[in-house]
Amino acid sequence: MKPVAFSSWNGKIIDGRKGQPKGKAGAADIGCPVPKEGQKMSALLGWNGLVVLDKDADIPSLTLAYLKEARKLSCGECSVCMIGIDRVTALLKDMAAGKADKGALGEIEEIAKGVAKNGKCNFGRATALTPVLDAIKHYKNDFLALAKGGKLEEKACSVAVTAPCMQACPATLDIPGYIELIRNGRFADSLNLIRERCILPGVIGRACTHPCESACVRNDIDEPLAIRLLKRSAADADLQSGGCGLAAPKEEKKQKVAVVGSGPAGLAAAYRLRVLGYPVTVFEALPKAGGMAAVGIPDYRLPKDILNHEIDLIRRTGVDVRLNSPVSPLDWAGLQKKGYGALYLAVGAHVGTKVGCGGEDVKDGGFIQGAEFLRNLSLGAKVTPLKKVVIIGGGNVALDCARSCVRFGFKDVEILYRRSRKEMPASATEIEEAVEEGVKFTYLVAPANIVRQGGKVTGVECLKMKLGEPDASGRRRPIPVKGSEFVVKTDLIIAATGQKPDTVFLSGKSKVGLTDWGTIKVDEATLQTNVPGVFSGGDCVSGPATLIEALDAGNKAARSIDAYLAGKAVAPELSLKGLDTKAQRDSGFTAKAGAAKAALLNPKERTAVFAEVEAGLSAAAAMKEAGRCLRCYRLLVWE
Amino acid sequence: MVAITIDGRKTDAKENSTVLENVRSQGIILPTLCHHEEVSAFGSCRLCTVEIKANGKWQLATACNTPVAKGLEVRTNSEQAIEARALAARLLYSKYPTTKAVRDIARQVGVDVADEKADAKDCVLCGLCVRACREVVGACALTFADRGLGRDLDEPKIDFTTDACIGCGSCAFICPTGYVRMETTGDRRMIWDKVFKMATCKVCGRYFAPEDQLAFISKQTGVPMSALMTCVSCR
Repeated sequence: MKPVAFSSWNGKIIDGRKGQPKGKAGAADIGCPVPKEGQKMSALLGWNGLVVLDKDADIPSLTLAYLKEARKLSCGECSVCMIGIDRVTALLKDMAAGKADKGALGEIEEIAKGVAKNGKCNFGRATALTPVLDAIKHYKNDFLALAKGGKLEEKACSVAVTAPCMQACPATLDIPGYIELIRNGRFADSLNLIRERCILPGVIGRACTHPCESACVRNDIDEPLAIRLLKRSAADADLQSGGCGLAAPKEEKKQKVAVVGSGPAGLAAAYRLRVLGYPVTVFEALPKAGGMAAVGIPDYRLPKDILNHEIDLIRRTGVDVRLNSPVSPLDWAGLQKKGYGALYLAVGAHVGTKVGCGGEDVKDGGFIQGAEFLRNLSLGAKVTPLKKVVIIGGGNVALDCARSCVRFGFKDVEILYRRSRKEMPASATEIEEAVEEGVKFTYLVAPANIVRQGGKVTGVECLKMKLGEPDASGRRRPIPVKGSEFVVKTDLIIAATGQKPDTVFLSGKSKVGLTDWGTIKVDEATLQTNVPGVFSGGDCVSGPATLIEALDAGNKAARSIDAYLAGKAVAPELSLKGLDTKAQRDSGFTAKAGAAKAALLNPKERTAVFAEVEAGLSAAAAMKEAGRCLRCYRLLVWE
Repeated sequence: MVAITIDGRKTDAKENSTVLENVRSQGIILPTLCHHEEVSAFGSCRLCTVEIKANGKWQLATACNTPVAKGLEVRTNSEQAIEARALAARLLYSKYPTTKAVRDIARQVGVDVADEKADAKDCVLCGLCVRACREVVGACALTFADRGLGRDLDEPKIDFTTDACIGCGSCAFICPTGYVRMETTGDRRMIWDKVFKMATCKVCGRYFAPEDQLAFISKQTGVPMSALMTCVSCR
């Protein structure tokens, strides 16, 4: 890798111009984003500093390009940020036009410092002019040369925009953008912006694990923005005003695309491809569309009319969703003969993995996999409440099973988890709500044997565990305590310790390759399997993950399938992986203000029904909450 | 009451009051363009910037939207605070050099203001009209046009939703620069280029309010239109 000639990234100066040994640090070593192969980069000006790779780079022109992009991002509402950018731009142009002398640099410095100190939001404080200060400080002679006839060109540079929340979002939604639209009461515009990357806003606004909120800069001030609830408020506002449709494709293409599976990945890919004009058929094995959103998440977390409405909108754009249509065994050649040019496999991970305890293979109804239990419920199975149920596992599926059992009238619902609460993958809110509803949690316990008497499950023999060294997941490994066996009496055991894809449909002549973990193998860049024209994504590739990750897999697959059908390569993007988007030199002062909270159904009322537990925010509350956003847009401009 | 310190002087502040209220009650002059007691604080003009001691260090903060807290220390006259206010005024003046409200404030904080004809009534994006329309009136006819990622809007501006406007004139009343024009002649009122028909007082016969405004009030309060057709003087 090429060593940097100069860097002020993150305020740390590396300067190889003054006869000093420039060292070996490349752009990646200092945390600066690096272009992928085939892309050039001579210098980069980002919110966090200036990085020069090619010592002949034209820094004043790059600065001008940065100012132009920064101006686009500035909301223009406060008195200093956008006007400051305009003033600095004018001063640079005046210097180059011979209308200002070197004194202009002093004024630029004063404005840039002032905006960083007294901008209203983090865009002004961190991004608007901070790197311009670095440029004029460390490349002063290049700027002074402007006043003596030096060149200042308007160049077309590459641009990337991110933010801590956007970076954390698997689908890279423009979160500050849609929040700002809500702040201004533009709920419909906000929803349109969300839909550009998230076609199930009402679903995701309810059931997302919201990693964006963990990344929110306000965590260090008071509380993170209620981003998930804000997304939901945009979707809710649309429903309240009658629900607007999705735009129809602008053109109709000939090549058809088949999608197997109607979960978030399949639906997102189908919709994106449909918008591009492809006729799309979605084959769904179950009698309900939506994948895990339909048969994995109970109604009290995600009412199905919300999901069905959003699927209906996708269908109305012309996507043909065929229910009760399993594609097994897969006959790709047969589909090709029917005119399908590409196939997207998004079958999810619906098969429960083995717990590894004795007696789990006996099929007597006393032991059931969590995914199967939830699927049966969603498909209308009747559940007779028993006295006691034990759920094994610590993820959201375990929680969903437990809370469903409470609603069915099981008297005693207990979750057994082999590590402690700290390592539990289920979300903290879910755990809190389950505790409120009376679910019992027993930690550091693992099942060893299922106890049956007279062919009926009566209990589960368990071992106590202690925590050892961290394992590959970073969580401390549970170690069995010898001789600690004890029996938990129960009438039903639900196992929710993991899921894998059902790939039986690929056996035979499909030739689609699998990984050692039983997931479908794809090329990282193209998302194509080893069979040309066959793509795959979502849980069946990644293993069980979140709705938003699956949805983004669908978005990406659509781009890749479109490129494949058009005979083009997918354009490489700048890799922002590992970029510290939280880094900011001056954060200024922000008065504390707690986040908006959604009203929850009273625990006593909750446990009797499958009604939605969480209420949305009112429009006024959503607009107020949106006003807390600090707009931490981070800008990168390079040539 | 909470004890706070402003420029070294101890004073008692009402709970939930802002730094701006307390600074002004001390007789200290802080200019503002985007602030009005009747609407929520917005903090966009940056002209009321002071220094407060937060997390052990002095930091700039806009007085209008900073709440008081026990033991809060405020400096209005430090070099940093004075410079910050002057920069905000200077930038505003560079953008709106002929708008009287901007020129007056710029002069007040020591910016060199050129002598020239100054009768422009530019919109300075203070957002007072937006907040008055939304928070006081409830009509929500005004909002900021959004700039930002992927939204290539050259200049920020206030968008006017014709259908939602009731012609009450609150925006024109609260506007600090005179940008929002309202003209009432006879039975017609024009505001933001929308023409309203004025209602006649059933007692004195004068035109007193736009019919749309009365209809809006009737809808909001449930009072029948017939009961609203009397002007304030005759009520």
